[in-house]
Amino acid sequence: MQAQDWDKMDDEAFRLEVRGFFRKEYPEHLRFPAYHLRWADTKDWYKKLVDKGWAAPGWPKEWGGMGLSPSKLLIFIEEQERHGVARTPDMGIILLGPLLIKFATEEQKKQFLPPSLRGEYIWCQGYSEPNAGSDLASLKVEAVLDRDEYVINGSKTWTSYAMDATHMFILARTDKKAKKQEGISFLLVDMKTPGITVRPIRNLLGVEVFAEVFLDNVRTPAKWLVGKPNQGWTMAKALLGFERISIGSPKLAQTGLKRLDAIVRSQGLTQDPAFMDRYTQLRLDVADLASTYSRFADLLKRGETLGPDVSILKIVATETFQRLTELTLEAAGDAGAIGGKAAFRKDSVDILSPFYNARPATIYGGSNEIQRNILAKNVLDLPS
Amino acid sequence: MSQQEDPNRMLRDAVTAFAARDTSIARVRQLRDSAPGFDKAVWKTIAELGWTGIMIPEEYGGMGLGLGEMAAVLEEFAKTLSPEPLNPSSVLAAAALLHGDNEALKKKLLPGIASGEILPALAWQEAEGGIDPLAIATRAEGGALNGGKRFVFPADADGYLVSARSGNGPAVYWVEKGTAGLTVEYEPRADGTRCGRISLKNVKIIDAQLAASGKTAGAALQRAVDEATIMAGAELLGVMSRALEITLEYMRIRVQFGKPIGSFQALQHRAVDLFIQKELSFSVLRDALLQTAADPSGLGLWASRVKSRCSEAGMRIGRESIQIHGGIGFADECDIGLYLKRAMVLSAWLGNGAVHRRRYAVLAPAEAAA
Repeated sequence: MQAQDWDKMDDEAFRLEVRGFFRKEYPEHLRFPAYHLRWADTKDWYKKLVDKGWAAPGWPKEWGGMGLSPSKLLIFIEEQERHGVARTPDMGIILLGPLLIKFATEEQKKQFLPPSLRGEYIWCQGYSEPNAGSDLASLKVEAVLDRDEYVINGSKTWTSYAMDATHMFILARTDKKAKKQEGISFLLVDMKTPGITVRPIRNLLGVEVFAEVFLDNVRTPAKWLVGKPNQGWTMAKALLGFERISIGSPKLAQTGLKRLDAIVRSQGLTQDPAFMDRYTQLRLDVADLASTYSRFADLLKRGETLGPDVSILKIVATETFQRLTELTLEAAGDAGAIGGKAAFRKDSVDILSPFYNARPATIYGGSNEIQRNILAKNVLDLPS
Repeated sequence: MSQQEDPNRMLRDAVTAFAARDTSIARVRQLRDSAPGFDKAVWKTIAELGWTGIMIPEEYGGMGLGLGEMAAVLEEFAKTLSPEPLNPSSVLAAAALLHGDNEALKKKLLPGIASGEILPALAWQEAEGGIDPLAIATRAEGGALNGGKRFVFPADADGYLVSARSGNGPAVYWVEKGTAGLTVEYEPRADGTRCGRISLKNVKIIDAQLAASGKTAGAALQRAVDEATIMAGAELLGVMSRALEITLEYMRIRVQFGKPIGSFQALQHRAVDLFIQKELSFSVLRDALLQTAADPSGLGLWASRVKSRCSEAGMRIGRESIQIHGGIGFADECDIGLYLKRAMVLSAWLGNGAVHRRRYAVLAPAEAAA
């Protein structure tokens, strides 16, 4: 497939091209999945993306990506959401790839980028630990240099797709004497290495998406350390750019509103003024979320960098979506505790999955309380 | 908003210069509960700066600019808490005349409105208030107006554009102050300004006073109210931004338990939530200005979106700013209370949050799943 210069294409034409591909090629039964799909579910679709040359829309072309500008990348993501295209286990594409491209050696890039793009390497992210959640910098997993290998001990948790992953990128402590953010390195690990045990964790939806990963004298080559030793924290932080806007997308809430409206009508709630006031407030909240999203998206499209105030987007998006799922439960009445697709007069709607899925959204990626701490300090300039 | 994004930087800078030179919180305090409640000399300055004519076309002596420019000026102007009726006279009243169909009257009045010599008010609401400009009981028949108007601001205008019901449907008449049969009583508003309760008893009218009639009058009134509603959102944004700045500064310097109170997480999170409300207000106003410039047909819907968000956010930031200030926040000598009271007035004016939520529900019925 010949690399194309997408940025020369007009935005609308590009949008239609992406939309057309998803419509034609994306499997109908995987649209708008209720929970994160596993690799077994999505690998055929991923293969299509690889063949099309669209597996890594944000990567530069020299590494097989589409080389999209921020504005084209936003369009790509918007179309994915509009069509209900599921995320694949894409940590390697979204999180690791850009970090390697920016900080890794040529040898590391050649070794890891192509197989990650082809879907031969599936990555999971080893950041959180049982005792390092919001206070991530206090992480305890330790990597000790033994000649040309690091020996890693400890445990990681909430590791999404650990059961599917062939590899893991982790933050590990390499200098116990340094200040807590300054003694952390970024290491790559093969999941087949002896000493790794994966214990899947069942979540509130009853499915196993994330896992605890135990590391017992796990040896990884010293040349698999990315960047400089003890610079892992800074590198990981530097790449929290694009997710901060995609996590604020209003699409999920807009889709949820349509679901809610079907219930509101079939339950006759349009005649209840008390309910309707809160419902209208919610609809306005979703609309204002969309206005806030487009404001930050416009900044990106003009090539400006996002400031720390983009944290409001994560807070507003995730909390609005939570309120939406709560009002949906309330509107459903007796059906608000029925699993699977609950029947209403004309429709059948999955009430519980969005409600559960909305819970971790305010926790991961820096809990909303941590986001508020960051805003208070970095944007409102309040003292600590 | 980044500088690159703001095409109205010069207009904003002009208001900042005005704020430093021509007004102050001391002046605002002095004018409270006085008559007419604002300073005619300052009104003249405002007119010389061109702001009274921003939305009036050049052919009538104005600048012929749009809501975007007006919003930039009003947002900054509102931060000063100046009581001069810029939005009520230069947007609400001027638009009702401008979008009417009496060319001679426009030629007679608009240049004076733009230059600040004529200060108009729109007298459209009646005893019950409400935001429907067609809910009119005042009658225009037999060559006279009879009825009553309420919530008229500024109360002490040079003339009133009075909505009335005529044989031809709704109508808007220009009635000069001092006309026989027109009397004005005053009601105090929370912020120390006053609005008028107007009584019209056999007020003689002639066709030359008819600014608009029939469908044109209905559309002109609705457009004027919707435009002023969006502009009230811009004013609320200015008031809440300044109130939040003052409160954040207080959190940095007020020491209790040996530390600035702004270091306490409970208060930090509260401040962030206020900041989020301000940012949502900014987002919806920005979007409203962009979208209505491209397609004016959605003006009413956008007005309700803007006003419901900005009214609620302005009130919340005002109230919680008092709480964060503690005891001093309840003292009249502390300026923060002035911002709360202006937010109360702007929130209630042209429909509060609840009123506009109801209107939004009617204008934009929810879309069910396909």
